[in-house]
Amino acid sequence: MSVPKLNVADVAGLARLSLTPDETTKFSSQLSQILAHMETLGQIGTGDVPEVVPPAQPALRKDIPTPSLTVEAALSNAPAQSNDLILVPKIVE
Amino acid sequence: MSLAHETLASLRRRLVAKEIHPRDIIKDLLAQIDAREKTVHAFTHLDGQAALATAEKADLSLPLGGLPIALKDNLNALGDPCTCSSKILEGYRAPYDATAVARLRQAGALFLGRTNMDEFAMGSSTENSALGVTRNPWDSTRIPGGSSGGSAAAVAGRLAIAALGSDTGGSIRQPAALCGCVGLKPTYGRISRYGLVAFASSLDQIGPLTRTVEDSALLLSALAGHDPRDNTTDLRKPETFLAKPTGSVKGLRIGLPKEYFLPGMNAETEASIRSAASWFEKNGATLVEVSLPHTPAAIAVYYILATAEASANLARFDGVRYGRRAVDPKDLLDLYQRTRSEGFGPEVKRRIILGTFVLSQGYSDAFYRKAQKVRGLLRQDFESAFTKCDLLLTPTSPEPAFPLGERTQDPLKMYLADVFTISTNLAGNGAISLPCGFTKSNLPIGLQLIGPRFGEETMLGAAHAFEQAHDFWKRMPPV
Repeated sequence: MSVPKLNVADVAGLARLSLTPDETTKFSSQLSQILAHMETLGQIGTGDVPEVVPPAQPALRKDIPTPSLTVEAALSNAPAQSNDLILVPKIVE
Repeated sequence: MSLAHETLASLRRRLVAKEIHPRDIIKDLLAQIDAREKTVHAFTHLDGQAALATAEKADLSLPLGGLPIALKDNLNALGDPCTCSSKILEGYRAPYDATAVARLRQAGALFLGRTNMDEFAMGSSTENSALGVTRNPWDSTRIPGGSSGGSAAAVAGRLAIAALGSDTGGSIRQPAALCGCVGLKPTYGRISRYGLVAFASSLDQIGPLTRTVEDSALLLSALAGHDPRDNTTDLRKPETFLAKPTGSVKGLRIGLPKEYFLPGMNAETEASIRSAASWFEKNGATLVEVSLPHTPAAIAVYYILATAEASANLARFDGVRYGRRAVDPKDLLDLYQRTRSEGFGPEVKRRIILGTFVLSQGYSDAFYRKAQKVRGLLRQDFESAFTKCDLLLTPTSPEPAFPLGERTQDPLKMYLADVFTISTNLAGNGAISLPCGFTKSNLPIGLQLIGPRFGEETMLGAAHAFEQAHDFWKRMPPV
């Protein structure tokens, strides 16, 4: 497989980042170099090797209410709030 | 002599004997910090008065009673800042304790200082901090390693007795090696990650940075064990780790993975590691050559998986619930984009973009899923090696500390600094780095011992025996 073309500005948009023209140029060349290195994985045979999935354990805890953050603590870092609610810009016209 | 030069274990003995008071330790550390922090810049936040106040109330009957620990700035500690060395968390105060922090608190520890790091633990030099670079106490023109560079520099520079760090691809072990202290990355699942700001959840692990292996074991004993708040923590009963002299390393089979001794590697590093291996052999261990054949693929696998996980984990920094928010956003999209673009530094943006790309439609099979499969092969490499040996012995870093600024424009070259530490995170094994020599220009060299999963006891015992037979750990940095 050849090194895919990474459209940095598009992918940044998906990740909710807006880049300056300088950043776009710089990241494009750096990331294509990094992707070229990653392409080497294509040469490793992995026919029937299972994918590693993060080790989860059968460790469901009992469904018993326990203390958690208070509303006050949970809101203590909110940049804008009112009446125990977090304020954000209007999303529906 | 200033108490700042002592270890947790020796201070503990003196506290119990009532020769000293916890406030004496804090005062001596603050004096050291006054003299050296300006050069080293190990900390992002310090509150000496608060530490002195808690020292007055310390309960010396507890296992870590009255002993001060520095915390990497990505561990939540109630009421304290937790910036991850990022502008996006400016002004944030932790509303709760991470489990690791709570366990140290319950064991009687005091907290003095939050340590500098690469932003969101993304880096190998601590140069990616938005709060300034940290300098290596052995040579202030060089990097301390990263991402737990502040913790390593503080412990090595006698600004802290011990510190916690986090290790996703070598972020405890590599700075410990470059600063000449002991860094332990426990087996994945040994210590709860609850309250550690997540970078790559399947790889992250909290661990101690200390001057001795005994101190490392002391902290591990307090930190280890299942936590209902982290479902990946191991369910077995908590163990107490004692790094007491085992008397000998006789009978241990020590594997030297041939892929970790590369042609063209730093000559002084190789000589030191070979000489450490000979020490083990002279003292009754058997050296076995083993192979971890997928090692050359580890960097590529890591930077696909770690960035993929990071792109998801860092989506939470959106300017809504906590942290920085862009001023006067015109709509919600503008709020997200400007908050993140203004708040994150270049390396974090680079990794979020890379991680988003390797997960994107059309590319996730070739990158993300392929990398998960090769990760499986890497894990098999370790399992097969541990049928032939009890521990693996390798360099921690291919070279000693490099000069500040040398790699900041070349991310791929920076990534290659982690070549000997990354595989253990991918496989989930525990590993420890400890000093094993110095270069002619007086820079520390680190030896890495890797254990089978949950094999910390053997690892700590062997590391302790090596450490106590040498005096590398006693040397003082000049800065």
